[in-house]
Amino acid sequence: MFHRSLRTVVALVLALVLGWSFAQTLVIAQGTDAVSLDPHDVTDSPSATVTSHIYETLFELTPDGDIVPSLATGADVSDDGLTWTITLREDVVFHDGTPLTAEIVKGSMDRFLDPENAFAFVFLLARVDSIDVVDDYTVQFNLGTTFAPFMAHLTHSTTAIVLPAAVEEFGEDFGENPVGTGPFQFASWDRGSRIDLVRFDDYWGELPGIEGLAFLAVPEDTTRMALVETGEAHVAVRVPPADVPRLNAADGVTVENVSSLRTIYIYFNHTMEPFTDRTVRQAINYAVNKEEIAEFIFGGAVRPSDAAISPGIFGYTPVGKYEFDPERAQTLLAEAGFPEGFDTTLYCPTGRYLRDIQTCEAVQSQLAEVGVNAAIETLEWSAYLDFTRRPAEENTVPMAMLGWGTVTGDADYGLFALFHTSEHVPDGSNRSFYSNAIVDALLDEARTTPDESLRLQLYEDVLEILREDAAWLFMHSETQLVAVRDGIEGLVIHPTERVLALTTSMD
Amino acid sequence: MFQYAVRRVLISIPSIFGVILIVFLMVRLAPGDPALLLAGEFATEATIERIRERFGLDRPTHEQFGIFIANLAQGDLGRSTRTNRLVTADLRQFFPNTIELAAAAIVIAFLVGIPAGIVAAIKQNTWADLVVMFGALIGVSMPVFWFGLLAILYFSVQLGWFPVAGRGTWQHLVLPAFSLGIGSMAIIARMTRSSMLEVLSQDYIRTARAKGVMSNSVVLKHAFRNAMVPVITVGGLQFGTLMAGAVLTESVFTWPGIGRLLVDSILARDYPVVQGAVLLIATSFIVINILVDALYAVIDPRIRYD
Repeated sequence: MFHRSLRTVVALVLALVLGWSFAQTLVIAQGTDAVSLDPHDVTDSPSATVTSHIYETLFELTPDGDIVPSLATGADVSDDGLTWTITLREDVVFHDGTPLTAEIVKGSMDRFLDPENAFAFVFLLARVDSIDVVDDYTVQFNLGTTFAPFMAHLTHSTTAIVLPAAVEEFGEDFGENPVGTGPFQFASWDRGSRIDLVRFDDYWGELPGIEGLAFLAVPEDTTRMALVETGEAHVAVRVPPADVPRLNAADGVTVENVSSLRTIYIYFNHTMEPFTDRTVRQAINYAVNKEEIAEFIFGGAVRPSDAAISPGIFGYTPVGKYEFDPERAQTLLAEAGFPEGFDTTLYCPTGRYLRDIQTCEAVQSQLAEVGVNAAIETLEWSAYLDFTRRPAEENTVPMAMLGWGTVTGDADYGLFALFHTSEHVPDGSNRSFYSNAIVDALLDEARTTPDESLRLQLYEDVLEILREDAAWLFMHSETQLVAVRDGIEGLVIHPTERVLALTTSMD
Repeated sequence: MFQYAVRRVLISIPSIFGVILIVFLMVRLAPGDPALLLAGEFATEATIERIRERFGLDRPTHEQFGIFIANLAQGDLGRSTRTNRLVTADLRQFFPNTIELAAAAIVIAFLVGIPAGIVAAIKQNTWADLVVMFGALIGVSMPVFWFGLLAILYFSVQLGWFPVAGRGTWQHLVLPAFSLGIGSMAIIARMTRSSMLEVLSQDYIRTARAKGVMSNSVVLKHAFRNAMVPVITVGGLQFGTLMAGAVLTESVFTWPGIGRLLVDSILARDYPVVQGAVLLIATSFIVINILVDALYAVIDPRIRYD
C-alpha cells in the first residue's frame, strides 16, 4: 500500500519536473499579429520576426552590420560581376525531413521572382536573370547588370528559402503552414492572438536553450507592458518612451535600448516653391531643434541624424548636423526673399512611427518661431501613402514626414530609392522629387562597382551633397525600446527591427 | 407567429443587400489603395499593378460588385488581400470569440442590472436608489478602454487575480466581459427601475396589494413580469451593440474578436474581409432584433403576431 502511494508520489513529482522543463517557452509580445508566415509575402516587422525563426536565408546580417553565411557556405563572383556562384551547407534539413539541395534553392528563388506571384519585395533581386543548379550543393545566380549589394540583399528575411514541395502541397494556404529550415518549427496559430513554435531538434546549427517560442499580438501599449510586468510575457516590443522609467523600476524587468536602421525625416517637395530654393531648405534645417525633440519627446531614445542613413549601415559616414540656430535661419530666409517667413503645410502620419504627430507638432512650433507657419495635415496611413506618391504635376504635398528602414544594411537600399532621379514617384519611391545629376552618377557607380572602399567613398560623397543640399529636414534615427524580463540570455534585438530568440535560453 | 417570422426574414433581405452595397462602395470610396499598402512604401508601379490584378482590383467597380454577389450566392466571400486567407475561415474563427465575449457581458449586465434596478425602484428616493442610480450614471459614462486598462492595472498587475490578456480559460473572460458589460449593465438598471416604477403605480398592483398579496410576491410576480418588456428590448439591442462594438474591449484585452478583425482590415483596406465582417455583423443584428420581437410574445401574452 505504502509502496504504491510512494510510486504515485514519485511519478507525480517526475511529471511536475518534466512538465516544468518542457514548459520552457519564451513569450514575446508584439504590437500586431503576423499577417502571413510565407516569408516571400511578408512586408512587416512582426511577421518577419516570426518567419525569421522558422526560415533561413542564404546569408545573414549580424547586428553589427557584417554579412555572414547562413544556409550558404560562401560566394564567388565572376570578374565581370555578373555571375555569383553560391555553395550550400550539406547538413541542412527542412522541418519535414527533406534535405536542402541546390534544386530547392533554385525552386525557392524562382518562386520569389515569378512575376505572377507579385511579391512586394521582388525588386530586391530584380537584377537576377536566371538561376542555374551547378551540382547538388552549388547554385549560380546570373545577373543582368552588375549589382554590388547583391549579397546584402540575400540577407533580407523575405529572400528566405522555402520548400517548393510544401508550396505546392498547401497552395493558397502556404502562409499558414510554414515548413522551413530554422531552429524552430511551426506548431499552431490562433489568429489575432498567438503563434506557437517549438524547437526543431534536427537543426543544423546551435540549438536554442528553450523548448518553445510564442508570439502574442497585443495592440494596446499599456496591456503589452502589463504582460511583461506580470511575467505573462518575457519580452514586449515598442515600449512607450514615457513608460521606460516605470518599467526599469519594476522588479525583474529591464528596458533595452537598441538602435534601429530606420531613419525618420521630413522631406521637401523639390518641385514646389519655395522648397526649390536650397537656402530655404537650409533655413528650415537650422530652425528645428532636433536635440530638444530627442530629449523632450523621446526621453533621449532617438538619435538626431548626422547623415541621411543611420549608423550600422554599410556606407554610413557622419557628415554632420545642422545645429539649432534660429537667427541663422532667419537670415537665410531673408536672403531667400522671405524676411517675414511663409505659410506651408506639413503632412504627418499618426501612430505609424514612434511619437510621429508629437514630433510634427514640435517642428511646427519651432518653425513658427522663424515665421514659417506650417499647418499640420494628418491622414490615416493608407491615404497618406496614396497622397504622397502622386506624380509631380498632381502632387500637393510640400513637406511630409516619413521613415525608411535600410533593412539590407547597405546604403544602396537607403539612398538609391529615395534620391535617384529614376525613382521619382509613382514609378519609384522618391517622393521628394529630389534630382541631382552628380548624386545620380555617384549612386549608379556605387551600385555597380565591386570595390568596397570605393563604394564607401562614393556614399560618403553622396551623404555630403545631401547634407549640403539640405535635401530633407533631417530628423533622427529610431531606437527600439524592448522590455525584457531578467534571466533571459542570448536574445538579439536586431537593428532590422526583429527580436530574435534563435540562441536564447532562460533560467 | 410563423407567418410573422417569415415576413420579418423576407423584409430583412433588402436591408442586408443595402448594407452590402453601401459597404462595398464605401470601402472603395475611402482614400487609400490596398495594393499600395500591400506593396509598401518602396514597391514599383509594376509590382503594384500586378498586385491589383492578383486581387481583381483592376476591374471596374460594378464588375467587382457582380463578382462579389455571384460568389456570395455560393457562400464564397473571397480571400483576404492582406493575409490571403479565406474570409469565411476568418469569420468562423473570430466571430464565435466575439459572441462568447458579448454573451458573457450581457449575462453579467442582466444579472447585476435587473436586481439593482428592482431594488432602486422599490426603495425609490432612499440611499439605495441613490447609490444604484449614481453607479449607473458612472457606468454609462465611463469609457470602456479606460475602465479596461484600470482593471488590468489593478486586478492583474497589482493583485494578480486575473491574466492580463488573451483568451482561453474562464479567468481570461472575467475582466473583458465585465468591462464590456458595464455600460449595458447601467442602461439595464435604469430601464428596469423606470419600468418597475411605472408598473408599480398601476391599478392592478394596488388591487393586488389591497387584497393582501405579500409585498414580495407583488413585486416579483405581478410587477416584474410586466416591467420586463422594455427591459428585454433594450437588452436585446444592447447585445447587438456589444457584438459590433466590442472593438475597444477586444483591443485592450487582446481578445481575437470580429471587431478587431474589422478595424485591422479597414486600416489595411482589406475589402473582402471588411465586406464579410460587416455583412455578418449586420445579419446578426437583424436576427437578434427578430428574436427579441418574438420574445415579447412569450413574456406578454397580449402581444400577438398574426
